[in-house]
Amino acid sequence: MPEPAVRLDGITKRFPGVVANDQVDLHVAEGEVHALLGENGAGKTTLMNVLYGLYEPDEGTIALDGRARAFDSPRDAIDAGVGMIHQHFMLVDPMTVAENIVLGNEPRKWLGLTVDGAASREAVVDLSERYGLHVDPDAAVEDVSVGVQQRVEILKALYRGADVLVLDEPTAVLTPQEVEDLYGIFDELTSQGKTIIFITHKLGEAMHAADRITVLRDGRNVGTVDAADTTREELAELMVGREVILEVEKEPPDTGPVDLAVEGLRVTDERGIEQVRGVDLAVRRGEIVGIAGVDGNGQAELVEAITGLATPDAGTVTVGGRDATDLSRRARNELGMAYIPEDRQKRGLVMDYDLVENGLLGSQHDDAFAPGGRVDWARTREHVEGVLDDFDVRPRDPDAEARSLSGGNQQKFVVGRELARDPSVVVASHPTRGVDVGSIEFIHDELLALRAAGKAVLLVSSKLDEVQQLSDRLAVVYEGDIVATVDPSSVTEEELGLLMAGEVPDDIARADPVTGRDGDDTEGGPVDAGVTAEGDR
Amino acid sequence: MSARPLRDRALAWVGRLVDASARERILISVTALFASLLVGGGLVLVAGLMTTCSAGFVLGGDEYVLGPLVVTLPAVEFALAGVGNFCYNPLDVYYHLFVAPFLSCGGGGALLGCEVAWFNFALMLKETTLLLFTGLSVAVAFRAGLFNIGTQGQMVLGALATALVVLAVAPLFPGGLLGAALLVPVGLLAGTVAGGLYGALPGALKAYSDANEVITTIMLNFVASGVAFYLVNNFFQAEGAGSVATRNLPGHAQIRPVLPPFADSTFSLVALLLGLALVAGVYYLLFHTAFGYDLRTSGLQPAAAAYGGVDAERMIVTSMTISGALGGLAGAVYVMMVLGRWRTGLPALGFDGITVSILAGNNPLGVVLAAALFGTMKSGSISISFALGIPRQLVGVLRGLVILFVAMPEFFRMLGVRYDVGEPEHPGGDAGGGEPTEQASEGATATDGGRIDDGRSAGDPARAPDGPGGDRDGR
Repeated sequence: MPEPAVRLDGITKRFPGVVANDQVDLHVAEGEVHALLGENGAGKTTLMNVLYGLYEPDEGTIALDGRARAFDSPRDAIDAGVGMIHQHFMLVDPMTVAENIVLGNEPRKWLGLTVDGAASREAVVDLSERYGLHVDPDAAVEDVSVGVQQRVEILKALYRGADVLVLDEPTAVLTPQEVEDLYGIFDELTSQGKTIIFITHKLGEAMHAADRITVLRDGRNVGTVDAADTTREELAELMVGREVILEVEKEPPDTGPVDLAVEGLRVTDERGIEQVRGVDLAVRRGEIVGIAGVDGNGQAELVEAITGLATPDAGTVTVGGRDATDLSRRARNELGMAYIPEDRQKRGLVMDYDLVENGLLGSQHDDAFAPGGRVDWARTREHVEGVLDDFDVRPRDPDAEARSLSGGNQQKFVVGRELARDPSVVVASHPTRGVDVGSIEFIHDELLALRAAGKAVLLVSSKLDEVQQLSDRLAVVYEGDIVATVDPSSVTEEELGLLMAGEVPDDIARADPVTGRDGDDTEGGPVDAGVTAEGDR
Repeated sequence: MSARPLRDRALAWVGRLVDASARERILISVTALFASLLVGGGLVLVAGLMTTCSAGFVLGGDEYVLGPLVVTLPAVEFALAGVGNFCYNPLDVYYHLFVAPFLSCGGGGALLGCEVAWFNFALMLKETTLLLFTGLSVAVAFRAGLFNIGTQGQMVLGALATALVVLAVAPLFPGGLLGAALLVPVGLLAGTVAGGLYGALPGALKAYSDANEVITTIMLNFVASGVAFYLVNNFFQAEGAGSVATRNLPGHAQIRPVLPPFADSTFSLVALLLGLALVAGVYYLLFHTAFGYDLRTSGLQPAAAAYGGVDAERMIVTSMTISGALGGLAGAVYVMMVLGRWRTGLPALGFDGITVSILAGNNPLGVVLAAALFGTMKSGSISISFALGIPRQLVGVLRGLVILFVAMPEFFRMLGVRYDVGEPEHPGGDAGGGEPTEQASEGATATDGGRIDDGRSAGDPARAPDGPGGDRDGR
């Protein structure tokens, strides 16, 4: 058997108070695509940073092609043929693609005094042709899409002579189409003898793109499996350490009157582009309405207009039968609207505040927490402790700063805080983005509990399985408008894919239309639209 | 470890400052203070060497009476043979800078026989009092994420409004104690309102037309002094005054020194108490009211504030108004306590307020300490030029060194926070212990190492005890 291209043996890396990697072995054969799978904080990135020379391991050895190596810095790793593409790209935005690729190893002329632009351009064109990675060498990096930027990063690593490519969560920022392209790039690279290791916490991705999968849990290697011989359930169990129910079980909906309605909504973003183009939408009590679509088709602007963070150009937003179009964010809060924002670190939490202070966000003008404008910190702390308990936020320490929490726990805290408001309408935007499997399950259960309690839930997510499983009705958006509202239980993924691309198949299983007007008309009593929808299922 | 790029090291260093706890920051400040004294001492020696004098300074030679013992220290003269004499004694300089503002002791380093130096002390307290107001003014704006460079201008206009209003209404009020009790609050109110309005102006410009407040406040400083000069010169000029100035306020409309020892000074306990009350008030406002919560949240993370229901535009205008009002109040106190009238060329208290606020970490309570440090050095530097023949410029350099050394770590920390350097993801922020360089320099990518405790978020308690983050849970 030939020596593996990458051989990590017994790698241990400790940080103050934690062991990030504990005796991890990882063997990757030449020309293979190897997925490193694990929950957030399982030690995947730490292990790869050891391979890339960013961390020195406390114990263990690194060997490439059978030769033992010790890396003091990424420079050494690059010289040994290891290239790493970080989650956040390290490109110089105003410079061209070609300039970025050669940066640090530029071809020179005039006795090395200036960069040979023509030679670097040529080198980049050669390289991109050899590996089938098409880029425009003269485009500025800031003008190309995220998928192309990632290609530039890969080319940069190849230009530096990488034989082993490490990609940290490469799909996190890509559209579904770009993800497919990336898998194609993997095939092309491995067919030319390159070795690829990529980090992910998504099961499907690992199974789809990798030849073999190594699962890390709590810093240990809990198993390496062939992608072809494994199942999602087996991988999930390895990752979490117990059985995970991937299928969501839910009761049929018991819907009431419309509690959140949007009519003819139009929203223009900061750059003056109309992102939401006449959306009509209604959410009844006791149902979850999902919004699916490729990111950037107006979902963010729609949510901001509903929650009061953006001002619509036209249309109305009705909350609980009351016109809320002109109400401020604060007034909507007070009307009983909870909002789980897409970006917890920018919107949902103040990173420098501790959890007690964060627990007050959005309730600071609530008489329960700040009677007469004076904050009752003792009462707030009590409340936050309750949220930490009920939503299993770790560490259970109200004095911990928000930034010190892991992403999954930050999200659980935000979800917990919003739901503890006892809202009647909940807007959840990508509530499980960047969250590991165990927390996803928990957040899904919470959303279903809201539905069972008769709340109106609007769920925006770019994860198809999520919206499909949780929603009672599913609206697909494309370029700022809803192309169709479908019954998620009978629609197929292929049909959804077409809808997300703006095409409406003829025989699509549409959900019964519900409009805000229905809700207005029947405000006093139960809605017959709800009954029909129920019967339909 | 191989050489790491300088930039990474600098970032790591800033990152460590960002992560420093309050106690560490105090320790850093104290250490920096001593470092500045050492460097400054060296400067004094060198400067003394370059001056000519008949003999170098002498250390020792004093008699100390310790109970029954009489100890005489040997006297040492400081001079470099063939080069010159050390003319200035750094110990003397720092004695005058830091001790003379409080105590005056019988010559030559004797420890006993000290008494309170009332004159210097009053000078110190006066400066401290005024800086409380301007320091608070800058701090409030800072907390709201606004860089109010315009405290100076708000102070100038506040001072003018106080002088003009008091001069205008004084004839309507009775004299004596009753008049003082009525006129002084009217004067303070006039300054506060004028400063507040003048602060609201750049606030509104920023909120509603996105004009950068740093630029507008700097320019409005020039506008303020220009307008004030024009108004007084053309309409309110006092007869026979040697400079552009208003008439004197009536005696009962001035804030008088109330304590007998300060009778001859321009320091009043009333103003100091007002300043301290405002410190407490601003502290309470910031940390114990819903409004203060909104203000701080806006300063730290505007997007989160908007999410939490804060009206960003209104918050900008309101916080600039409060900041301006505090600046205007500084002007009112300056007119009513120090000058007794408005006169052109007010001292740069507003600009010093910026340094005071940075030194204080924008904490109202810290403003007291920072203002006191400034006040002490101000009084001390006057004492130096009286007592020692040291050029004023050198004293200025020494003061600058102290401020530079003490304020710089805090200043870099603020920049770091603003540009998100540091170790946000690492559990407990205890990166300083282990591998801070790698941690901070790769802060953006080291997410896995930083999110180690997340393994347990799946909610399986059975797994917790043997997890790698076990220590974390016990926290």
